[in-house]
Amino acid sequence: MTHPRAGRLGTRDRRRGRTLAALTGAAAGATVAAVLLALAGSAVAHRLDRADKPPGDLIEATHLPPLLTAPGDPTELRYDIYCAAPDGDPESGAPCDAGGTVYVRPGDSGPFQALPLRLDASASTGRYVAELPESVSRAPAGFSYYAVLRNQRSGATTTLPPAGALAPQRSRPLSAPVAIRLGTHVFGAARRASARVAAAAWGGGPDEVGLEQGPQLGPIGASSFDVDATGAVVVLDEANRRALRFERPGRGPRILPLDVRGTIADLALEADGGIDVLETVAERGETPLVRAFDAQGRARGAWHIAGANASAVRAGPDGPVALQYPAGQWTPVVEHGRGLTVDEQRRRGRAGRPLPGGDELVVQRVGREARVAIVGRQGVRRSWQIESDTPLAEIQLAEPLGSRVVLVMRVYTEARDEFEVLVLDGSGVASRFAVDAPAWAETAPLARFRLRGSALYALGSTPAGMFVDRYDLEVS
Amino acid sequence: MRTIRSAHRTFALAFVALFALAVAATAGAYHTRFVANTCNYNAPQPTSYFTRDGSTTVALYARYEGYQWAGGCWNDNDVDDSPGDPTQDPNTGGEGGDCSGFTFKVWRESTNTSDAGAYQWNKLRFIHGPYTADAFRTGAGAPNVTYGKAGLIRMDALASPWHIGMIYAANADGTDQIVEAKGEAYGTNIWTRTYRGDSNYGGVRRLGWSA
Repeated sequence: MTHPRAGRLGTRDRRRGRTLAALTGAAAGATVAAVLLALAGSAVAHRLDRADKPPGDLIEATHLPPLLTAPGDPTELRYDIYCAAPDGDPESGAPCDAGGTVYVRPGDSGPFQALPLRLDASASTGRYVAELPESVSRAPAGFSYYAVLRNQRSGATTTLPPAGALAPQRSRPLSAPVAIRLGTHVFGAARRASARVAAAAWGGGPDEVGLEQGPQLGPIGASSFDVDATGAVVVLDEANRRALRFERPGRGPRILPLDVRGTIADLALEADGGIDVLETVAERGETPLVRAFDAQGRARGAWHIAGANASAVRAGPDGPVALQYPAGQWTPVVEHGRGLTVDEQRRRGRAGRPLPGGDELVVQRVGREARVAIVGRQGVRRSWQIESDTPLAEIQLAEPLGSRVVLVMRVYTEARDEFEVLVLDGSGVASRFAVDAPAWAETAPLARFRLRGSALYALGSTPAGMFVDRYDLEVS
Repeated sequence: MRTIRSAHRTFALAFVALFALAVAATAGAYHTRFVANTCNYNAPQPTSYFTRDGSTTVALYARYEGYQWAGGCWNDNDVDDSPGDPTQDPNTGGEGGDCSGFTFKVWRESTNTSDAGAYQWNKLRFIHGPYTADAFRTGAGAPNVTYGKAGLIRMDALASPWHIGMIYAANADGTDQIVEAKGEAYGTNIWTRTYRGDSNYGGVRRLGWSA
C-alpha cells in the first residue's frame, strides 16, 4: 500500500520522470536523426565534390580535312589547338602556347615526313598551319597524314586522328570528276511526295510519337528512322523509349520497346531487321553507346564508341559503323557480332563510309560546292563536283544506286531551306528535284533521309506530329 | 515502466519526425546545393584582350558539366553535379548554364546591354546575363550582331527563338560541331548539328575579338 503523501509525492515524481523521459527521448531521437542527416549529407557532398581536373591537362584540336581535293585548292593543312592559357589563369581568354607536328606522306604507304606547324596570327580560324611540299600535295594518289598537337607549357598532347599512323586521315584528288552546275535554287517548287508511308501525332499513346521535354529546349522528337527491305518504316520514338514500326500506310504502328536513353539518337536497320541505335549523349564520364536490338526490340548488346561524339550510324558491311569525332572518320563499332575495342575502332577509321565489296563513299562540302567520290583500293573510281549558286549546308545522304549515286543536300538562305535531290550518273544528273520536308522537331543531324531500293524516304514534322514521305526516284 | 515506455515513444516520434524532415531537407537541398555551396558572386574582371581561341577554351572547361535553366555556374570535374533537376524549375540551383547563359559567359559579355566591352566571369561565378536565345538571335545588345550564316566561323553562334549554340568546328560533310548547353538530359557538350541550314536559326556574331 502506498502512503497518500508518498502517493502524491510519487505522482509528481512520476510526472517529472515522464517529462524528463520525454525530453530525453526527444533529444536522443533528434541526435540520432541528426547523425543520420550528417551521414546522408556527407554522402551527397562526396558526390558533389569530385575534384576539378588540372587545367593544364586540357588539349583539344580541330581540323577540317581536305578529303577530296581539286586543282586550285590550298596546299596546306590547318588546325586549331585549345589548351590552358600560359599566364596561369586558365580562363583568362589568352591563347595557349601551342604547337605541333603534321606527319604526312604521299599515298597510303611509306615513311611519314614531319612538318612543324607554324602559327598564322592573322587567321581567325585554322591558326596553326603546315605547308605541304609539292611531292605531297600533287601526288597522283593523294596523301595521308596525322598530327600531334601539344601544349608547349604543360606538355599535354593529342593526336588527330587518334590512331595516328595506324589510321591516318586520307586526302584524295578528285579524278576527272563529272562537273555539275546547279545554278540558283528556286524555293517553293518542291516535288510532291509519291506517298506518305508513316504518320503519327505527338504524344505518348500507342499510335503517337513523343516529344522530349524541357524549357529552352526546342521541340525534339522522332529523332531518326530507317526503312527495311519490305518498305516497312521504323521510327525511333526516343522520348517514349521505343521504336514504331509502320508496315502499311494507314495502319497503326507496331510498338517495339527499346532500352534507350531517351535523348537524340540515330537509327539504322541491319539486313536481318536488327536495329542499331547510336546514342549521341553519353552517361557520366563515358563515350556514347551504340545499342543493337533484334527485329523485335530485344537487346543484342551495347558498345561504347571510340570517339567523344558521333553524328550518324549506318549498317556497314559487317555491322554498324559510326561517323565519329574528333577523328571525323567512319569507324566500325561491331564486326560480325563482336564489339570492337576503342583501339580496334580507331585503327579501322576511314574517310568514307564503307560499302559492301570494299569501296567507300566519300563526301565533302567545300563552300558552295559538294564533292562526292566512290573510292576503291586503287583510288577514286568515280567522282562528281557539284557547284551551287545557293549556299549549301549539310550533305544529308549519299548512297549508291546501281551505277549511280543518290545525293541529298540542304540548300539555304537566311530565311528558307529545302533539300536538293540529285541522282548522279556518269554524264551528270540523271534526275533532280527538291524536297520541302519541314522539321518542326529536331532530329539526329543526318537522319532526315534514307534510300531503300529506288525510293527515297524523308522524315519531317509539324506541330501536329511526324511523318515519313516516300519519293519514287523513277530511274531505271 | 510507464516512464520508460514514454521515453521510448517520444524517442520514436522524435526520430521519425526529424528523420523524415532530414530526408526531405536532403532531397530538397540536393538540387539547390551546387550554387549555394560552390558558386560565387565576384565582380567580373574587365579585359581588353580576348580571343576565339581563349573563349573556345573557356567553353571546353564547361564540357561534360551540367545544364541548368537560368543557371550560369559550373566547375570542371567532367560530371553533371546536379543531374535530374526538375526541368520546369529555374530555381533548383543546379550546376551549369542554360544555352544563353553559357553563351553570355563564354562570349565575356556585360550585364549592361549597351556595354560592348569584355569581362572575365570565371566558371564558378553564378551569372546568366540579360539575353535569351531569341534576344541573341535578333542581335540584341551592343556586342552582338546578326551575321550571314554562310560566313560564320568558330565561336560565332547559331540561334533560334528557343536555343543558341556556338560553332566549335566545321565538319567535312557540311554539318557543324556545336558547343552548347542543350538541356537537363544533355548537359553541356559538343554535338554535331545542322543548325546552319535550318531556317529556324540565324547567325550571330560577338564583336570585338582580339584574334
